[in-house]
Amino acid sequence: MSPPANTHLAYTPPDGGWGWAVVFGAFISIGFSYAFPKAIAIFFKEIQDFFGTSYSEIAWVSSIMLATTYGGGPISSILVNRFGSRPVVIFGGLLCGIGMISAAFCTSILQLYICVGVISGFGLALNLQPSVIIIGKYFLKRRPIANGLAMAGSPVMLSTLAPLNQFLFDNFGWRGSFFILGAILLNCCVAGALFRPIGMAADPVQKQTVKQAEKTVKEQPNNSSVEMVPPRAVSLLSGTEEEEEDKDCCEKFNKYLDFSLFKHRGFLIYLIGNVLMFLGFFAPIVFLAPYAKHLGIDEYSAAFLLSILAIVDMIARPTTGIIANSKWVRPKIQYFFSFSIAFNGACHLLCPLATGYTGLVIYSVFFGLAFGMVCAMLFETLMDLVGAARFTSAVGLVTIVECCTILLGPPIGGTLIDTFGDYKYMFIKCGAVMVLAGTFLFIMNYYNYRMLAKEERERKATEETMKDNKHIRTETEDGNIWAKEKMQDGPEVEPLTDEKEGLKKEVNGKSEV
Amino acid sequence: MRVSGSGPGSMRLRLLLALAALWLSDANEPGTAMTTRDINQQTRESISDYTVKGHDLSTPGSHLSTQDFNQQIEENISNLTSAMYSISIDGFSSAPVEENVTLYSPANITLLCNLTRTSTDSATVEVTWKKDNERVESRNVTINEIKNVWSTQYTLKIRDRNQMGNYTCVFKSDQEVQATFHLQVPQIEGKEHHIVSYVGDSVVLVCKSLKYIPINWIWYMSNGSDQVAVNDSLMPDKYIVDEKYANITKLKILNISEKDDTSYWCQAVFKLGESKGKVSLKVLTYMTPLKPFLAIAAEVIILVAIVFLYEMYSKKKQMHAEDEKEFEQIEQLKSEDNNGVENSTTRHRKV
Repeated sequence: MSPPANTHLAYTPPDGGWGWAVVFGAFISIGFSYAFPKAIAIFFKEIQDFFGTSYSEIAWVSSIMLATTYGGGPISSILVNRFGSRPVVIFGGLLCGIGMISAAFCTSILQLYICVGVISGFGLALNLQPSVIIIGKYFLKRRPIANGLAMAGSPVMLSTLAPLNQFLFDNFGWRGSFFILGAILLNCCVAGALFRPIGMAADPVQKQTVKQAEKTVKEQPNNSSVEMVPPRAVSLLSGTEEEEEDKDCCEKFNKYLDFSLFKHRGFLIYLIGNVLMFLGFFAPIVFLAPYAKHLGIDEYSAAFLLSILAIVDMIARPTTGIIANSKWVRPKIQYFFSFSIAFNGACHLLCPLATGYTGLVIYSVFFGLAFGMVCAMLFETLMDLVGAARFTSAVGLVTIVECCTILLGPPIGGTLIDTFGDYKYMFIKCGAVMVLAGTFLFIMNYYNYRMLAKEERERKATEETMKDNKHIRTETEDGNIWAKEKMQDGPEVEPLTDEKEGLKKEVNGKSEV
Repeated sequence: MRVSGSGPGSMRLRLLLALAALWLSDANEPGTAMTTRDINQQTRESISDYTVKGHDLSTPGSHLSTQDFNQQIEENISNLTSAMYSISIDGFSSAPVEENVTLYSPANITLLCNLTRTSTDSATVEVTWKKDNERVESRNVTINEIKNVWSTQYTLKIRDRNQMGNYTCVFKSDQEVQATFHLQVPQIEGKEHHIVSYVGDSVVLVCKSLKYIPINWIWYMSNGSDQVAVNDSLMPDKYIVDEKYANITKLKILNISEKDDTSYWCQAVFKLGESKGKVSLKVLTYMTPLKPFLAIAAEVIILVAIVFLYEMYSKKKQMHAEDEKEFEQIEQLKSEDNNGVENSTTRHRKV
């Protein structure tokens, strides 16, 4: 099994060790980001009575929160590119906490929109993207499993937050509950603390060796000093100088948010397919309970359908991660993703056939399965296409574009239900859109795989010719080129073999001089 | 009324009864123990047209069933709603049956009790009707027997609250069995769980009566064991009653203090009586949620500190190990420099 094309990372991700602590942190962060806007709906009835507003005005709180969480993606990406995941997540957790605490003292619905919707929503945005990004930095071979486990945070948190919110509400009222939820959201800071930086310039060990190198070079300005310091440091020194000269403002901005991704074939395929998919993704969940009640099922059984969905979802996500990591699926993971989207669509298309409670239970089980499969691989496939280095910017750009369709999906479904008076058209629309998206992704990814295979062959051919020409070049030039190639994400944590090579080169250089 | 089966006078009575039974049997469906949903009565000269919507209780042995009957408005001679409610009793040995009847406005009511009797029971049955355990006059009562079913009807006109109450039909021979109709106004549901609010904050208490629209709403608050009316015109900056819709009432309490921590009652006034719903308010200070908040915040700080300390500790260990490694490298390079270059490429480096 070969790793997916081009991680563009200059180091080997650990694939374990501290990575599992990072997965746990991501589990919590992602869980809060997805589950919190939904779980907060428990307070709406009381707040609606308190402020004397209609239900739709209250429901805007959830929509604004969701919109800010997705819309804040690019800003999140820029901040992560600049500062790394950890400070961004800790700041995001603080922002969430402050937002909810100030919401406890709100006196109007507008203030609620700002405190809960905008501030906390933005804090969650600063939680969601960095969590997903750092998984790509810590895992490569086991990345699908890590992604599946981290995304499982969403149903687990929802199942925990819903009864917890009810308990808090019964004992403390909505103001007290918001106050305490502010403290609970501060736990995102703990998740952030677990996101130890890796492969970043802020590595103090590297800094120290660079300083050492600088010192010794100044003190003994002759060639023999070169081998008294670790060869790494020298390459760092020369490398960084060269790098700064080459950058102009366009490249500098691209370092923060990589707009060149819009020329990336895989990225565009993913974007179009996902935008199409999200039109029909969330509406069935929103309307499942009302549909059940419409068929004459009582409220508690209807709510139980959602619980079934959540439980199946919880199990499906890590399982999908494990399946996606197997050697048969991993190389063709994009096909698996398209299949799960089409499967999801097929479930919705068959839903109108379910007329009784048993039929709806079966639908919920399959829907939960399909939903979990798609969510588990949502970010894994993007990482697979663009590589972990450019993933930071990719996730920001994808979320802000998806933001629009996510918000449009349920209202369009609602309009269909109101116009035709029947839920089945909404299900047919969602199913059709998702089957279309799945088919589109399947065909386009087939094309993409072929093009990637062709490019790989061409790349190997040029590499062969380069190797032949290598020994003609001078040693120092070679050293610098080697350093520059590896400098894409800052100095790397080198495996042992590179060090050995470097050492040899320096010694050879010295010998020639 | 007592019916026995002997003597000439009683023969005439029996004939009359048989005729009456035949006459009534066109309308009733004998032998089906009154399990039909809609009972349509044909138009007769003396009795006006009814349509009853709702279904009667024919499961023997069941106790307090709280099925509400909906009254349907129909044109009839007296221009008042008429409705019939019936209970079927399955033999003398069944337990007392009860039925709740919700009445919204004045109407003409017929209460019907049917007793299915087995062949072993004696032929004489004494039938009485009681209102709230007092016998009523028999002029509104009719009794007949068709095959094995004794049925009795009590017609009454509901005009105001005096006629509301519990009406019981009693069948007595060797044993006694009875069924009760509870005539009541629509019930108001309050909130089962208390509403929580804070000192200095305001709160809105809501009561709804969705199916039936009351004439008026009155709010009460509990003061010890009695209930005091909440007067919003006397204290306008404390209580505001919002009656935008007739079937929903909202009591807004401003500037809450600890004294407001009681139960509140919303009373809906109907033509035929009143009914109350309970909403209780619980008042907390801001200190109450502060304790869990501080506990969770402290937990967060401690966990973050632990994570960072662990990281610093493991980094120190790593740095230490790497320093040693680099030191060894430097030493080896020095020794090479002294020994010459020839051995460089084939050197084995200690890791």
